[in-house]
Amino acid sequence: MKPAPFRLERPDTIQALCRALAKHGDSARILAGGQSLVPMMNFRLVTPEVLIDINRVDGLDYIRLDGDALAIGAMTRHVTVKESALVKANVPLIAKAYDHIAHVTVRNRGTIGGNLSHGDPSSELPAVAICLDAKFVVSSSEGNRTVRAAEFFKGMFETDVSPGEFLSEIRFPVAARNQRFGFDEFSPRHGDFAIAIATVALEMKGDTCVSASVVHGGVREMPGQVADAEAALRGKVVSGEQVALAAKATASIEPTLQNYHGDAAYKSDLLRALTARALSQAIGEG
Amino acid sequence: MNKIANVAEGPAIETVQINVEVNGVAYTRYVEPRLLLSDFLRQELGLTGTHVGCEHGVCGSCNVMVDGSTVRSCLVFASQLDNAKIETVESLGRVNALHPLQKAFWEKHGLQCGFCTPGMLMTAKELLDRNPRPTRDEIREAISGNLCRCTGYQTIIEAIYSAAYEMQGATNG
Amino acid sequence: MAKESHFLEMSRQEEQPRSKYNWIGKSMKRVEDPRLLTGKGKYIDDIELPRMAHAAVMRSPHAHARIVSIDTSKAKKLPGVLLVMTGKEAAEVTGPTASFASPPVTQWAIATDRVRHVGEPVAAVVAESRYIAEDAIDLIEVQYEELPPVVDPRDAITSTGDAVLHPERGDNNVAMHRILNFGPLAEDFAKADHVVKRNLRWSRVAGMPMETAGAVVDYDEGTGKFTIYANTSMYNYVGWLIAVSLKVSASQVNIIPTLAGGSFGSKLFLHKVPTIAATLARAVGRPVKFIEDRMDNIMSSDNHASDRIYEAELAVKDGMMTGLRFKVIDDYGAYLQYGYGTHGNALSQVTGPYKIRSVGMELTAVFTNKGQQGAYRGFGSEVANFVLERLVDAAAAELGEDPTAFRERNLIEPDQFPYKIPTGNVYDSGDYPAVLKQAKTMLDYDGWRKKQAELRKQGRYIGIGVATCQERSVFSSTEFWFLNPNETPGFTLTSSPEGIQVKIDPTGKAFATINAPFWGNSPETMVVQILAEHLTMDPADISVSYADSDAGLNGTGPGGSRYTVMIAGAITGAAKKIKTKLLKVASHMLEADVGDLELVDGHVSVKGTNQKKSIPEIALHAHYFRLSMPLEDRELTSGIDATHVYDHPFTTMPKEDRSDLGVFYPIMGNMCHMPVVEVDIETGRISFLDYVAVHDAGTVVNPMTLKGHIRGGTAAGIGTAIYEHLHYDKAGQLTTASFADYLIPTAFEVPQDVRAGHVETPSPFTEFGIKGGGEGGRMGAPAAIASAVEDALRPMGIRVESLPISPRALREKIRESERLKA
Ligand SMILES: Cc1cc2nc3c(=O)[nH]c(=O)nc-3n(C[C@H](O)[C@H](O)[C@H](O)COP(=O)(O)OP(=O)(O)OC[C@H]3O[C@@H](n4cnc5c(N)ncnc54)[C@H](O)[C@@H]3O)c2cc1C
Ligand code: FES
Ligand code: FES
Repeated sequence: MKPAPFRLERPDTIQALCRALAKHGDSARILAGGQSLVPMMNFRLVTPEVLIDINRVDGLDYIRLDGDALAIGAMTRHVTVKESALVKANVPLIAKAYDHIAHVTVRNRGTIGGNLSHGDPSSELPAVAICLDAKFVVSSSEGNRTVRAAEFFKGMFETDVSPGEFLSEIRFPVAARNQRFGFDEFSPRHGDFAIAIATVALEMKGDTCVSASVVHGGVREMPGQVADAEAALRGKVVSGEQVALAAKATASIEPTLQNYHGDAAYKSDLLRALTARALSQAIGEG
Repeated sequence: MNKIANVAEGPAIETVQINVEVNGVAYTRYVEPRLLLSDFLRQELGLTGTHVGCEHGVCGSCNVMVDGSTVRSCLVFASQLDNAKIETVESLGRVNALHPLQKAFWEKHGLQCGFCTPGMLMTAKELLDRNPRPTRDEIREAISGNLCRCTGYQTIIEAIYSAAYEMQGATNG
Repeated sequence: MAKESHFLEMSRQEEQPRSKYNWIGKSMKRVEDPRLLTGKGKYIDDIELPRMAHAAVMRSPHAHARIVSIDTSKAKKLPGVLLVMTGKEAAEVTGPTASFASPPVTQWAIATDRVRHVGEPVAAVVAESRYIAEDAIDLIEVQYEELPPVVDPRDAITSTGDAVLHPERGDNNVAMHRILNFGPLAEDFAKADHVVKRNLRWSRVAGMPMETAGAVVDYDEGTGKFTIYANTSMYNYVGWLIAVSLKVSASQVNIIPTLAGGSFGSKLFLHKVPTIAATLARAVGRPVKFIEDRMDNIMSSDNHASDRIYEAELAVKDGMMTGLRFKVIDDYGAYLQYGYGTHGNALSQVTGPYKIRSVGMELTAVFTNKGQQGAYRGFGSEVANFVLERLVDAAAAELGEDPTAFRERNLIEPDQFPYKIPTGNVYDSGDYPAVLKQAKTMLDYDGWRKKQAELRKQGRYIGIGVATCQERSVFSSTEFWFLNPNETPGFTLTSSPEGIQVKIDPTGKAFATINAPFWGNSPETMVVQILAEHLTMDPADISVSYADSDAGLNGTGPGGSRYTVMIAGAITGAAKKIKTKLLKVASHMLEADVGDLELVDGHVSVKGTNQKKSIPEIALHAHYFRLSMPLEDRELTSGIDATHVYDHPFTTMPKEDRSDLGVFYPIMGNMCHMPVVEVDIETGRISFLDYVAVHDAGTVVNPMTLKGHIRGGTAAGIGTAIYEHLHYDKAGQLTTASFADYLIPTAFEVPQDVRAGHVETPSPFTEFGIKGGGEGGRMGAPAAIASAVEDALRPMGIRVESLPISPRALREKIRESERLKA
């Protein structure tokens, strides 16, 4: 299990990175934390000709408030995000999700940008990004463009980042006072990728839900909104009964991502249970 | 990048120069970009205390410290580590002068075959560096990315717990 | 059955259990540990020889296929590649691998014309580095003609044509079909007032140590000798079979054991890896290292474990279990390296700790397109424990009785030993009620039952499991062959010895050499404690090393929970010789009669006086002062050394017609596991609220390391029960072939505290009464966990009949139960 040969580029600046990306086009892969890419290279499932190591690139590792968004640089390590007071205070849903992501050593090295660029449907962060309608800043020598989370993910392990481009920043809307969040997942072992994920963001007016974002993960090729569950909550006083109705509404999501650890029926069961739990968490009863 | 023939009958392989400090010793080496840190440590430097159990990032046997944080050495290329400071199990204690963690693993029977042990020790060291008085739950969380097939973990957790107290005691008084 | 006291007359025990020991029974820190803790332990991948090259193996992507052609030309041209060898080329110089099956199943270390499972080797490469070797593998082009894959063991029975894996053995995939009955089976079932029936499934898992298998081989063309470093065991027992494969004499292969980073049976007789490395080293003229990577290891390390389907029945009369019968299909995979040993093994304790008097087995062993079975902690007996305990729980439930009360009544009583079970095996000793009682007390069984009822009212599903199981220890080799067809029993070996060499150096320190490897157990610590006991020495003055096969005495190595018992026997024999010599030399030094001397506290002294000589004084004298001692004593030679080979303490032959299998696994441990679990019925997650495991392993040499086996084995048993599965899909692809999918429990999936307890019933047959305990918790945990989960879900009427009870599988059952209710 040794990787195939490749050439290494080690840019120090964003400009140099852009040049390297432009030069190598689709023969190059970006290497961030390597926690998803290197296992695939060791299995020789991926054999890039050129690897562009972005670990030395200046200016991609930050967490800062920028207007009504919390901006996180793509190369910010999981551990930094997980422990950030700024994140906890402003985007509490990320902090909740991080309780379920990998193990300390993987988090030391893995990055939020690498995670989202990987587009793994069983990962927590894509679901969170969609739930919060995060914005992805995609950069290249041509400049920057911003993509909504729901458009960033194109399919399993596929994103809107084209050859020559890279993900530079993710912008999460700062939580409003009247927002409530919940996250739950099921993984067979602690720290494993999820078999199913449910994450919710509710905008409340008193006990009434003004708008709801309910997102599934791990059950289809991409995480996505559960519109029926959202409809069941919108404009309602959120109680146990409403939670149950919303959870039941997840039946409209047909799980297509199946493997030994989770078939469609199981994933449906999980999605229902996890949605209920995430909602209860959000309204403070979980 | 340099091009040197680094194997007798082999091709001219592109290598990159790295300067690293490993267990306090400075090395300058030319490495093939794809050389995994685990292989670099074991094969180039002869530091075979770092073990390789899966080469896909799950078992934690290969955990070493890079610039004060643990990494899976099977998921990092040596070529990425120019100017890094690396610590392996060999940096802890010696057979006749064990580190308190090693001593505690010995006393509490925190190892059987010993294969996971170097990775466990480095992970435990990182934990205690960051959190000198962890609870058992915090220890469990910290080592949850390290598989041990022999012990059932209980004695490993006890060992780390008791080492923490031992080390605190030593520094407090 | 009644007490069979005459067996006691066969005992060769020399050292009886004592009420007080100096070193036995102490939780001594392990002498192995300091080097392991500092990264100085030498495992196989740490071996490096000058000019060493590296091998990698190309593996079949297909479950079943004919190899039509292999084109290695591109691979050979890759710079840095030294050799590319196909199976056909290898077969020109190296013969098939060893098989203990009869009739044998031909297997080549590298497949020649047909691949029979995913991951089977088809070619090997030697290169300057493992990286280049893998590059070369990508350049080998193999043309396959796919054959129908056989995946479901039930289908294997009726396979025909191209689906038959080994046509030379018959025209279907049945490796063997055998019916054996013991005791008044028909009568017991006819007279039963209650018969319990269950269909049970035990799925394929593996030992999966953190270290894979490997070998480094140097071939000396001048002498024709292979030096093989490997993390194999049994190298002083059947290691010479590697020489047979290599077509050289046994003396032309020297096997040097390295530390093994765990085995759990998986490296019991690891021979394919060294055979491949040796074949390559001979061909390439340089030392070759071949270390399996994890892929290699999961798919093709000959270490998959029992994979069985049972239809089982238990006869009960007046609340007493009388008869047990079962049909079992066992999926052995593509080959059959150990024959049907796993079923032979299970028959040693098939009736458990109970007074069941008849047994019937119908075994159908089949070939399928999967990795072949090897050994894993329990060697088939852990499965039999699970099957029996499931039936026992079912009987208690159907009769409306508490599962511990039902068991208690059926347990063999302490005064019934030695106790012969229907298959012919004998249980040496035990106190099963005491073990059960201690477990109940430690758990507060009654307290948990109350809590369970309260929590159930709150909608929580708590289950209390119980398993009272045997842990047979010290195998006799007859189990490997007595199930072979009577007319072709094969190589009917009857020895499984263990040897030791002990020397006292001139400074009075002891040095022992053992003939089996370290594989995570504590052989050095055991030797030090037991030898210190015998020689009244300080353990710090004893050191231990491992013999290679050139220097080695007979030694079978760890496995079947045998090592501590067997090495204790060997030590006892050698220590007696050493002691005799010490006394003799001292008698000359002290000018006293040997009969007046005693060895106490590291000194030989004249009884009742203060005249004495220390072991170092005697040793110096013995080594360098021969002329100072009487020349007439012709047998007195310089130095102090002894070897001793200890044979199985108590075993007999099976009857020709197999109506009685003889005594083959008599040193009988016992255990009671009691887990308390909670099931999250929405997700199927099982979590542990408590866990008690009480074991009786006879006289305990080191309570700390024994607890280690109990807890480690329990963790492995949890993996088997809930998380692990080598799962093949319909095409014969292994869908769980990585550590991301083959789920070894982490620190979160095991109980926070497995509370271990000991009961000590010494064996009347072994030295000091020691019994084995190495297979530990895995013998009982799967049965106990199944019991607990079924108990938790009793309100839903859910049965646990199939392992693993993964969250998905469990939720499936709950969903079905909810559907029926609705
Ligand atoms: C044992 C283990 C357990 C894990 N458990 C979890 C878990 O529970 N949940 C979870 O979410 N993850 C888990 N992970 C994965 C982990 O979170 C990874 O860190 C993450 O998926 C990838 O981030 P990375 O920085 O390591 O990216 P890399 O592995 O370096 O890259 C991943 C992919 O993204 C591309 N890429 C990286 N950065 C960029 C960029 N800025 N722009 C464009 N493309 C880019 C790469 O080319 C590559 O294709 C686990 C990993 C391991 C080894
Ligand atoms: S070898 Fe690196 S995590 Fe297993
Ligand atoms: S001690 Fe063997 S794997 Fe942990």
